[in-house]
Amino acid sequence: MKLTVNGAVTGVDADPDEPAVRTLRDGLGLTGTKLVCGTGVCGACTVQVDGVPRASCITPTAALADREITTVEGLGGEHPVQRAFAAHDAMQCGYCTPGFVVEAAAFVDGWRVEHGDTEPSREQIAAAMAGHLCRCGAYQGIYAAIAAACAGRHDEPAEPARVDAAAKVTGAARYTTDVRLPGQLEGVIIRSPHAHARVDAIEANGVPLVDLRPADGVVRYAGQPVAAVAAADHAAATAAAARVEVSYTPLAAVTEFGSALAEGAPLVYDTEESRKSALSSAEGANLPGRWQGNLHTTSGLPLPGGGTAERRIERARRRGDQRLVSAVYTTAVQVHSALEPHASVARFDDAGHLHLYISTQRVSAVADAAAERWKLPREQVHVVAEHVGGGFGAKANLTADAVAAVELARLTGSPVRVVLDRAEELTDGGSRPGSRTELSLLADERGRLAALTVDAQGDGGASTGSSVGLMARLMYGTAPRRIRDSDVLTNLPPGAPFRAPNGPQLAWALEQAVDEMAHRLGEDPISLRRRWDGNPKRRALYETAAALPLWTGRPATGSAAGRFRRGVGVAAGNWLYMASPKTQVELTVERGTVVARSATQDLGTGLRTVIANVVREELGLPADRVRVEIGSSDHVPGPPSIGSRSTTSVGPAAHDAAVRLRTALREGAGTAGREAPVAALLDGADGLRVTGRRARDRGGYLLPFSVADAAIGRGMSGAVHVTEVEVDTLLGSVRVTRVWGGLAIGRVYAQGPARNQAEGAIIQGVGYALFEQRRADPATGVLLTDNLEDYHLPGIGDTPEMEIHFHPDGWEYVTGGGVGLGEVSAVGVAASVGNAVYNATGWRPLDLPIRPDRLLEGINR
Amino acid sequence: MSTTAPTSLDGVAEALASGGRPRAGGTDLTVLHRLGLARGPYVDLGGVAALGGVGWRADGSARIGATTPIAEIAADERLRAAYPALTATAAALATPQVRAAATLGGNLLQRNRCSYLRNPHFSCHQSGGTGCPARTGVHANGVAVDQGPCVAPHPSSLAMALVGYGATAETRARGTLAVADLYGDGSDPTRDHLLPEGEVLLAVDLPVPEPGERAAYRRATARTAAEWPLVEAVARLVVTDGRVRAAGVAAGGVARTPLRLTEVEQALIGRPADAAVLAAAAALAAERCRPLPQTGYKVGLLRDTVRDVLERAAEQG
Ligand SMILES: Cc1cc2nc3c(=O)[nH]c(=O)nc-3n(C[C@H](O)[C@H](O)[C@H](O)COP(=O)(O)OP(=O)(O)OC[C@H]3O[C@@H](n4cnc5c(N)ncnc54)[C@H](O)[C@@H]3O)c2cc1C
Ligand code: FES
Ligand code: FES
Repeated sequence: MKLTVNGAVTGVDADPDEPAVRTLRDGLGLTGTKLVCGTGVCGACTVQVDGVPRASCITPTAALADREITTVEGLGGEHPVQRAFAAHDAMQCGYCTPGFVVEAAAFVDGWRVEHGDTEPSREQIAAAMAGHLCRCGAYQGIYAAIAAACAGRHDEPAEPARVDAAAKVTGAARYTTDVRLPGQLEGVIIRSPHAHARVDAIEANGVPLVDLRPADGVVRYAGQPVAAVAAADHAAATAAAARVEVSYTPLAAVTEFGSALAEGAPLVYDTEESRKSALSSAEGANLPGRWQGNLHTTSGLPLPGGGTAERRIERARRRGDQRLVSAVYTTAVQVHSALEPHASVARFDDAGHLHLYISTQRVSAVADAAAERWKLPREQVHVVAEHVGGGFGAKANLTADAVAAVELARLTGSPVRVVLDRAEELTDGGSRPGSRTELSLLADERGRLAALTVDAQGDGGASTGSSVGLMARLMYGTAPRRIRDSDVLTNLPPGAPFRAPNGPQLAWALEQAVDEMAHRLGEDPISLRRRWDGNPKRRALYETAAALPLWTGRPATGSAAGRFRRGVGVAAGNWLYMASPKTQVELTVERGTVVARSATQDLGTGLRTVIANVVREELGLPADRVRVEIGSSDHVPGPPSIGSRSTTSVGPAAHDAAVRLRTALREGAGTAGREAPVAALLDGADGLRVTGRRARDRGGYLLPFSVADAAIGRGMSGAVHVTEVEVDTLLGSVRVTRVWGGLAIGRVYAQGPARNQAEGAIIQGVGYALFEQRRADPATGVLLTDNLEDYHLPGIGDTPEMEIHFHPDGWEYVTGGGVGLGEVSAVGVAASVGNAVYNATGWRPLDLPIRPDRLLEGINR
Repeated sequence: MSTTAPTSLDGVAEALASGGRPRAGGTDLTVLHRLGLARGPYVDLGGVAALGGVGWRADGSARIGATTPIAEIAADERLRAAYPALTATAAALATPQVRAAATLGGNLLQRNRCSYLRNPHFSCHQSGGTGCPARTGVHANGVAVDQGPCVAPHPSSLAMALVGYGATAETRARGTLAVADLYGDGSDPTRDHLLPEGEVLLAVDLPVPEPGERAAYRRATARTAAEWPLVEAVARLVVTDGRVRAAGVAAGGVARTPLRLTEVEQALIGRPADAAVLAAAAALAAERCRPLPQTGYKVGLLRDTVRDVLERAAEQG
């Protein structure tokens, strides 16, 4: 069929009933258009049809005939909206960006015709963008960009806020899902339909197939990979998968957290052997522990004073002490759902080298793991992640997509791509375990913390590794405390590390309990925290927060009347500071440009920009003379994008490299060059190469050794969130209207991206607090929320007005002076929403998410 | 036979006679096709000019062609003046991209959004099976007025608004029938509307507009936009001298069919449009509910959503 796309008429061999997005991406290679939800919810696939934005995943290809189609590639790159998105940092990972840009271009053009160069309201922008989702939560920048473009402020080019902005707003940025190699096959993973079964046999029936069964041949959740097959394209691979016969012996399954510990419940892991190799939601190794049926209790280091804490709380309970706050708090399973799904493309070259394109947060570690798994010399493994469409912790390993792609590539001798569809991504792409936390907090007669006990059960499906209580060891002084962590196992998909693993679950309990205590003591919740919290950096944040009009103007709890009630809540966040001491950044002068390289990756955090900024600032270079090449395991060692380690590791190494480069340039230029600007010396220095390292922190790290190049640094990072909500007491919805986020992370390496990430953490926290909940069918263990219609991500209209405050002091001993913010900024958000709802209504929500039905039941009780 | 795009009604009829299925915006069908819940060949209706657009009769009433995009209905000034409950509903449903592509006919005849129906792991009444896994499983978004074996609420917001107007549907072979009769009593668990295969919806006819009508639409959701309603309701009121002279009230998200709440309307007509009367009328909506174990919350939510639209409709003017 003939299509007119971006002004050119092209012939394409396409099925008229296939979604147009497939024709555009696979048929025409226009990969700027992304396929995410496939159901018209997220807008990533938006194209203009005769100038009107359409979701191409729910548009049949037939509907494109005789129309003018404009994709993001067709906007050119100089549309005011594209410039505005770049200037206002309206993106993080960039995977949603083409869809937003295509929609916003039509909106802005239409707006200016109708209203002249004026700014629309936030509500108008939200209504226009209601069909788009950004998992990174870059909505604040998107609002700003669209408003500015409407007002005519981007008719001229402007400086982009991040160095890869141009690639992202034009659709040129290549993600793993966009990789297409000559002769490439498409792989599909065959997954267990049973929640618990023994896989007896796999009959390939002539289809090239690799076995992905777990070692013991038992699948423990519906959706667990069993095998993978490959064929020429997606349709053929799906058909091939249907020809494969897998025989299962179904086993009794337990699919509900609430019944997993019942007498006679089927066991998820029933042998010593299987328990040893149980799946884990934790970073790194399995936590050791004790098993009783489906209960796995982690053997953490016992704390001194545990017995005292228990006794004090027990006595307080018996005497009915008002200063004992005790409750059970629960959180739902939250799915990562990065908009770019897990994806891998594997190719073996003639020399036997493995080239693995993968959407990952750890190019280096994935290369190490691949070398080990497939017994290849490390230098024969080349892992590439040019752009990564979000990860949030779930893309840190050699996941099933990678294993399938590599093994299929080896089997077939052709490159193989494996891309999870949204149902697979939402099922097997990772999740934050849910939790049930029984927490008791006791204050003495002088209002000091006297005892704390935490009994936390993780709800991580078939995975162990939850440690919700961990952070309770590290906050609010040294009062006696007893912390117990366990996992309740079920035959549901396993968890994975998710941005501040365990942090929001604990904060949901602890920060609400502290709030409740303040209420009982008749004290301002910030001033109580100021008394209890020994962290000096967070104390500085409390000072600032306490003086905010947002805080001083909050209503007295329960005083609000009428249908819509406003409330303000506060919560603190605490996180480890970690670094990767072996990080290096290499600078090479290439044709007058400084090229920075490191084996790290940018999944939206802005790491490319951090490196570029540091090098440019140090050397006084303009933007076009520094280029950053990351996303390849071939470069000098770089940090993983996990544990909030990447910026604090790379920044100082880049700085060190820049200093070295200047020295080398000046030495090379002799006396004449001593005073010359660096830019003037580059032309004569082609090939000059230096390597910068991250110097040790002053005073070293907390532990003298580090595992997998993760050093736990001294000092904890801190956050405080002050959050305003408006509760509709008639129809049960909660709107988060304003959030102030204070972060004590020291130096900020790249303002725009840092702010953006902190805002994104708030939006993900709003989702966690109000909307996000994984649900499974109890009879089968099949997830019902395996699509973005049923799994609810926060949209642009759910975005509060946000103010981010960075407290600069306190990290002077850290090399570079700044630590990571990705995780600490995510810890307390949901808890601050809970406290705000309490302030507004006098009802304390104990269960997440705060759905309308729960809220109505709670306030009308 | 493959996908066709006839340009006349006769061409459509011919293509359907040989086993085709009408396709309008394709926003629902494209997904159903991918999931294996719909099969071609498809007959694209977009080329038939007679099926699209808004027409006006001498008595001031409107006829809206089946392939008129929802966005066009929402933006039509004259429709907005005559049938504000319809345009308010059209403007509030789904997302801008969906409204631009989706049509009136497709909206009325779309498939429900039960997550069991759309998940290939399950079979149910709607997909050729024999049971309702949602009834015994998760049905928190299900009906609160239990009308029969299937528990999925009817998805169409426009159907709700049109039922509230007592609008009629023109079909090619069966002639004219009330929009409400497209859906029956909800007891057939195998389908979401009763039009036979091969039938074409031509247009929807609205009654003569009520001068002075005020209207309000509301959906109860957790998020601000782009979310299927837990409950939705629409009200249209004509208030003269402080008294309700005419009323149309309908609700969605609570039953297998869109519901016209005649008991609420009757409790309003002739009464003063004050808060107490509106609240008492809204409370009647709860009485017809027979919730499922997980949808008890919808009873109060239905009452309060109805109350909200009544109050907002009464406030205007
Ligand atoms: C994110 C999202 C949110 C949504 N929210 C809402 C919402 O809140 N409220 C709501 O009502 N809808 C909502 N929808 C659904 C949307 O309105 C429907 O998909 C759309 O109305 C279908 O119209 P269409 O023209 O694309 O139909 P198609 O997909 O083309 O067809 C749908 C069905 O109607 C049949 N059909 C279409 N036209 C005719 C005709 N003239 N004669 C006979 N049969 C015909 C087709 O055969 C098919 O069975 C939402 C959709 C999405 C993606
Ligand atoms: S991929 Fe089309 S709307 Fe999400
Ligand atoms: S930037 Fe929007 S999804 Fe990542």
